[in-house]
Amino acid sequence: MKNRLAPYAFVAPAVALLLAFGVLPILVAVLVSLTDMNLGGLGDWSRISFIGTENYRRLLSDNEFWQSLTNTGIFAILGVPAVIVVSLVIALLLNRANNRYFRALRSFYFLPAITAIVAIALVWGYLYNTQFGLFNYLLSSVGLPQVQWLSDPIWVKLSVALVAVWRGTGLNIIIFLAALQSVPKEYLEAADLDGASELRKTVSVVIPLMRFAIFFVTITTIIAWLQFFDEPFVLTKGGPLGESTSISLFLYQKGFSASQFGYASAGSVILFVIIAFVTLVQLRARRTDVDH
Amino acid sequence: MKRPRLSWVASAAAVSLLALAGCSGSGSASAASPKELTVWVMGDSSAHFDELVKPFTDSSGIKVDTVAIPWDSIDQKLTTAVASGKGPDVVQIGLSKLRVFADSGALLKLDDKTLQNYPNLAADKFLDGVAGNATAIGGNVVSVPWVSDTRVLFYRSDILSANGIAQPPATWDELRADAKILTGRGKGRYGYYIPQWDSALPVIMTWCQGGQVVGSDGMINFNTPEFQKAVDVYTGLYADKSVPTNADFDQVQGFTSGIAPMLVSGPYLASAINSAAPDLKGKWSVAPMPAGTANTSLLAGSNMGVWGSSKNVNGALKLLDFLSEPQTQLTFYKLDGQLPTVKAALADPSMTSDPLVTVYTKQLYGAKLLPLVPNWDGETGKALLDALNSIVLKGANRDSTINALFGATNSTSVS
Repeated sequence: MKNRLAPYAFVAPAVALLLAFGVLPILVAVLVSLTDMNLGGLGDWSRISFIGTENYRRLLSDNEFWQSLTNTGIFAILGVPAVIVVSLVIALLLNRANNRYFRALRSFYFLPAITAIVAIALVWGYLYNTQFGLFNYLLSSVGLPQVQWLSDPIWVKLSVALVAVWRGTGLNIIIFLAALQSVPKEYLEAADLDGASELRKTVSVVIPLMRFAIFFVTITTIIAWLQFFDEPFVLTKGGPLGESTSISLFLYQKGFSASQFGYASAGSVILFVIIAFVTLVQLRARRTDVDH
Repeated sequence: MKRPRLSWVASAAAVSLLALAGCSGSGSASAASPKELTVWVMGDSSAHFDELVKPFTDSSGIKVDTVAIPWDSIDQKLTTAVASGKGPDVVQIGLSKLRVFADSGALLKLDDKTLQNYPNLAADKFLDGVAGNATAIGGNVVSVPWVSDTRVLFYRSDILSANGIAQPPATWDELRADAKILTGRGKGRYGYYIPQWDSALPVIMTWCQGGQVVGSDGMINFNTPEFQKAVDVYTGLYADKSVPTNADFDQVQGFTSGIAPMLVSGPYLASAINSAAPDLKGKWSVAPMPAGTANTSLLAGSNMGVWGSSKNVNGALKLLDFLSEPQTQLTFYKLDGQLPTVKAALADPSMTSDPLVTVYTKQLYGAKLLPLVPNWDGETGKALLDALNSIVLKGANRDSTINALFGATNSTSVS
């Protein structure tokens, strides 16, 4: 009997934490999303009333919600492949040698990931500035017209995504590098004996063996981009006219700036469902992959 | 970008969880001892305020613990404080946030009876635009004026006169004409700057045309000929290409470099210019807000409120009384550069001798508050800005956009 309980005792702390900080908030969010809770209601619960699915109905007819959802989709389509490809290529290149220079480069690529977002926003904000920024100065010095990096509806998405890609690669490079270290030497030597070229070895031996790392990075990167928040928040506050507002930023604005907790919770529940769905689809795809 | 955070999945839920758990998460809650007060001031540093209240602590023996709350995080801070029921004793409230604070029910009602022993807090001591009933919410006064702020016209006298403009524009039509001349200086030069985040500017323009944005029934009403005239000015400046169209235009650099030699801003711009380009002294000045039929400017600034669950209400009121002494207000102006709200302080010779300050104070007397709607920054003002900016930046149809704005805002009440 004792032995049967032991595993439960061991997982209990982890499960308790997951329930308290993972499952419970989601359940509370679902509950709150069915009410008209605002700041007044937070202080005095009698001012909260149950309004059913009204928040969801309002969300579906809210242009700002659809705009932010579209923006998030665009950000993810731009960012996810870019982050994965760039990190993978850099990791493959960094893995080619292990001398002091390459070790220094590794720390160099990791720097953006550990730099404070506010400092990043300040520096990139100055680089992007239309009148006084470095980028436009460089463009003007070769005779090209100014670009409104953070003010043009299309450019702003690319500019914000670029900062996020730059910042997001660091950690993924480390993960890929770790995976590269665990590629068995025997396979590479065997390929050498067969006379395989560098490119052939990379494509046919190394990358397939890194499948799990790539899968992991893909899932976490997609989730991170669906929750995209920091860069637009600090660089543009979602502007101009909501062109760089992601769904998380929209929820933040509704929840914290406008104090519409019920409405924001409804949005967060929808975002949760979207993320859960996308992740499940990926897991399912992975399962068939293993069967082969 | 960070690794996925579960907390974001249910961001709003975290707040409500806070309410459930009843934990405050901050050590700066209301002080229990009658000899202590916790004060939340807005801004990045509490050094000036600490220095200001030193004499108060010396004379009353009440220790004042000041916590500086950055403007950006006031919403979350207020949410946490309301949810946990643990706030400070005294809190500085930006006027644009007054309605949100009052509606949360967190502030103590400051009726005549509560204030009767504090002569400095009588409504007639303060600027009329912000005193007593002017900032009452639903008939209840929940705050007293603290510092004021207004908007005036900043202009580069050297650039204006070099282009044959002898006087700063006195009307918005003149301003538009002058801005066009200044824009003609060359590529990348502008005449005027409209901050795309400034929801007060279109309202000021409407006031200047002699109009109101609140109807007699207490509802927001942009459907007036005066507002249409204001829209003419706003969109006209863009149509003339007299203003930069990028959202990240830096107003201080734009002004000191001469790229945008005119703009409407507050006294804080004067100190920013002085620290960014001290050698520009004498080449710029301020003038009253351009008129249409009136030259009404914005009355902004901050009030002070007492937290409803404070255990030291008397000490809090005593502190507010001290802060409203003319001398205290003048000292704070010297320390921090924020204008007083007390009439006696504004009329003090040390204020009236400075030509810049004379322009500010003159503007202050007729200045008006933004309508005290439930959420100006997040909703009404945002709707106004989004409408105007989508006309000028995205080329949206003017009539349909403005009509949509009427519809979206005309059920917003100021009480």
